[in-house]
Amino acid sequence: MAKRRLRWLLAGSAVAAVTLTAALAATAYGSGKASSKIVIDGTTGTVVNIDPANEYDYDSFTVDLPIYQGLYGFPSGAKLKPVLAKGCTHTKNLKTWTCQLRHGVKFSNGDPMTSADVKYSFDRVQKIKGDQGIWTLLTYLKSTTTSGPYTVVFHLTNPDSVWPYILSTNAGYVVDKNTYPADKILANTDTTHLVGTGPYKLTKFTPGQQAVLTPNTHYWGPKPKNGGVIINYYSKSSTMKLDLQKGAIDMAFQTFTPTEIASLKKTKGVKVHSAPGVNIRYLVFNVKRPPFNNIHVRKAIAYLMPRAQIAGRVWHHTVSPLYSMVPKGLPGATQAYKKMYGAKPNLKKAKAEMKAAKVKKPLPITLWYTPTHYGDASADEYVEMQRALNASKLFKVTLKSAEWAQYSGALGKTYGAFQLGWFPDYPDADDYTVSFYQPKSFYNNQYANRQMNKLISKERAAPTTKKRLKYLRGMQTLAAKTLPTIPYWQGNMIAVGRSNVSGIPATLDATYYMRFWLISKS
Amino acid sequence: MTGTSLRTYLLTRIALVLPMVFILLTLVFLLMRVAPGNPIQASLGGHVPAAYVHQIEHRMGFDKPLLTQYGQYLWDILRGNFGSTITDNRPLSQIIKQNGAATLELTFFAMLVALVVGIIVGLLAGRHRDTPLDVSGRLFGIVMYATPPFFLGLIAQLVFGVWLGWLPISDQASPLTQALLKTHTNILFLDAIIDGNWTALWDVTKHLILPATTLGLITAGVFIRLIRVNVIRTLRDDYIEAARARGIVERRVVFHHAFKNALVPVITVVGLNLAILLGGAVLTETTFNWPGIGHELYVYLQNRDYTAVQGIIVVFALVVVAVSVLVDFINAYVDPRIRY
Repeated sequence: MAKRRLRWLLAGSAVAAVTLTAALAATAYGSGKASSKIVIDGTTGTVVNIDPANEYDYDSFTVDLPIYQGLYGFPSGAKLKPVLAKGCTHTKNLKTWTCQLRHGVKFSNGDPMTSADVKYSFDRVQKIKGDQGIWTLLTYLKSTTTSGPYTVVFHLTNPDSVWPYILSTNAGYVVDKNTYPADKILANTDTTHLVGTGPYKLTKFTPGQQAVLTPNTHYWGPKPKNGGVIINYYSKSSTMKLDLQKGAIDMAFQTFTPTEIASLKKTKGVKVHSAPGVNIRYLVFNVKRPPFNNIHVRKAIAYLMPRAQIAGRVWHHTVSPLYSMVPKGLPGATQAYKKMYGAKPNLKKAKAEMKAAKVKKPLPITLWYTPTHYGDASADEYVEMQRALNASKLFKVTLKSAEWAQYSGALGKTYGAFQLGWFPDYPDADDYTVSFYQPKSFYNNQYANRQMNKLISKERAAPTTKKRLKYLRGMQTLAAKTLPTIPYWQGNMIAVGRSNVSGIPATLDATYYMRFWLISKS
Repeated sequence: MTGTSLRTYLLTRIALVLPMVFILLTLVFLLMRVAPGNPIQASLGGHVPAAYVHQIEHRMGFDKPLLTQYGQYLWDILRGNFGSTITDNRPLSQIIKQNGAATLELTFFAMLVALVVGIIVGLLAGRHRDTPLDVSGRLFGIVMYATPPFFLGLIAQLVFGVWLGWLPISDQASPLTQALLKTHTNILFLDAIIDGNWTALWDVTKHLILPATTLGLITAGVFIRLIRVNVIRTLRDDYIEAARARGIVERRVVFHHAFKNALVPVITVVGLNLAILLGGAVLTETTFNWPGIGHELYVYLQNRDYTAVQGIIVVFALVVVAVSVLVDFINAYVDPRIRY
């Protein structure tokens, strides 16, 4: 009985196996390589939301950039330019901004773009208040009105000299009022409705696998230099590296480890492109928590910060030493910390500061970092810092790390000195200063400085760029003096392409924008 | 054969599933809440003001007493509502459907590899006991069983993908195939057949070889050892001796009588190995960038999306329970001695 049943079971399995083998055999003929001008890009990023009303992370932004546009933007280079607007004017108090729209712009579904779409887009972001928080960039926006089909007026609650920069963010991306619901975020897979005015349209999105971008036939600007882009998502950079070496993908952007970059630089058939980027890493002090409430202790650490060692030993020079919260390459960036504390560690001056601090030596301190959010190299970064500080015999450093879920909730509330990184909302010095130095900043470091607050107000109300940059420089100098943070590296924008891919260097600049439309493949 | 009928056995077996699933669900719920930190804040990337984070916590019921959360969690699962991920608002049902299909595709072919390799090597090793063939077979089985999937995967990628350049090393298909192939079942192998797209089918098959072989070989290690032992034991049984005494040729004795009986315990082990296979799938999928449910688990763990992680683990647990019940059914059907 049992044998007979087993026989049936085995027979069934055999039939299935034979069918499968036959199917495999039937298909065993050459596929031939698809020749196309489609550029295949690899990334280890994760897309959260494509709908601009709830997009506030770099990986989602990289997908949005070729699909959507704002009234202003950075179509080429790091200089802000009008894109969907012909230009904007403002009242003397910088509270009302009037923008004239470009004529003849259409969405990728053929719908014309008018001021009604612009108003709808801004109202929508403010109404939805998405979980990711992009709406916080529109905090000063009181209302949006239209005056005819090509004029939009923004009414602000406060003077805002950086309003055109806000218009360049995805909080200001213009969407089609006919396809986007007013009170709901569109799903990432809803490619029929996720339409924009950019050079590409999204034709397929498979979460965690790929985003397929095809040229927008209604695009008003110059045509993309390729026949489309496929962004392929990887969970591990090591697999992406092998695929790039094999030629399964044409290029990769975000993110290889420092050792992988070093290895790729020696690999035939691929080229590593690099330019100064805008992501930064810095050490934050809770300025009210001992011993970091003592400015001399903070200064001693600033004098000993081993920037060159971190950039070289840990990051294989894929990052550069940073001497201000504003990275080099952005207008208004200074080298305030270099000027004040020198380019290299200075033990003599650190000793003098510790003497003035009147604390016991070596002073026990704890530095916190989070490798689960900033990568494994974070641990090496902090080991370098520990080594440098301990070697001075002025400090006895204990390193502690926490998982990001715990770390992000603690920051200044719990830690005295801790690691953070920053990627800008918009590539301007304002985003690297006001965000950190305003009272009640997001990291809870209890820094409040009256002089700094005055500079922030003046900068936001500055009528000219020249004056605005003057205040921004002032903020950086004051921050170096008062040390709420110590910046230590600025990341490079790195993209790796096969040798038949061209145009990558054209998009590597201080905006950190991957402009796929400039890239071609031979 | 004991007194209970097959039906009674099956009903008792199903009744035992309920407390098992309940314990599993409770463990998953408690473990997710023991983890320190604020999952909502962590997943939102720090842009949202604290007051708004509280609003989201409230909306998701994270501020309710633990017992209320637990009740809601069980009720949702009972209704088949696994919720949506925090980070990208993706319904868990979509992940199960889309990525689960990719895992099904991989595990099916991996099991096929495991069975073919396990049975052939196990039978040969058992039949030729204590010969170099047996020693090699055993060694192969032990090495395969002991090798971590990601290590074997990396070696396979390097050798067959990079050095020899024979096979692709990642994804379910090449990016172009994935972009152009119409999705019917999310099992690309079937989708290509449904569309009659033979170029795509060849591409998909090539992409399947390395991950399915890696995962399959690791599982085959268990089968080899089990089948070998069973063959040796069966060859010593009285009925085999009797067959030989009746003058049946040795070849027929071995293939017709011994081997078939030695394969019966494999059915049980196939079921038990599903848990190992799914665990291995997480690592294999990550190594080969295979977009299965294990790969998603890895990605959501990295993004601290606890809703997603909780949902995926529950699905994994339910699948393992369901398969173990199914295997018990098959065992009871094949072997009438198995009863309570």
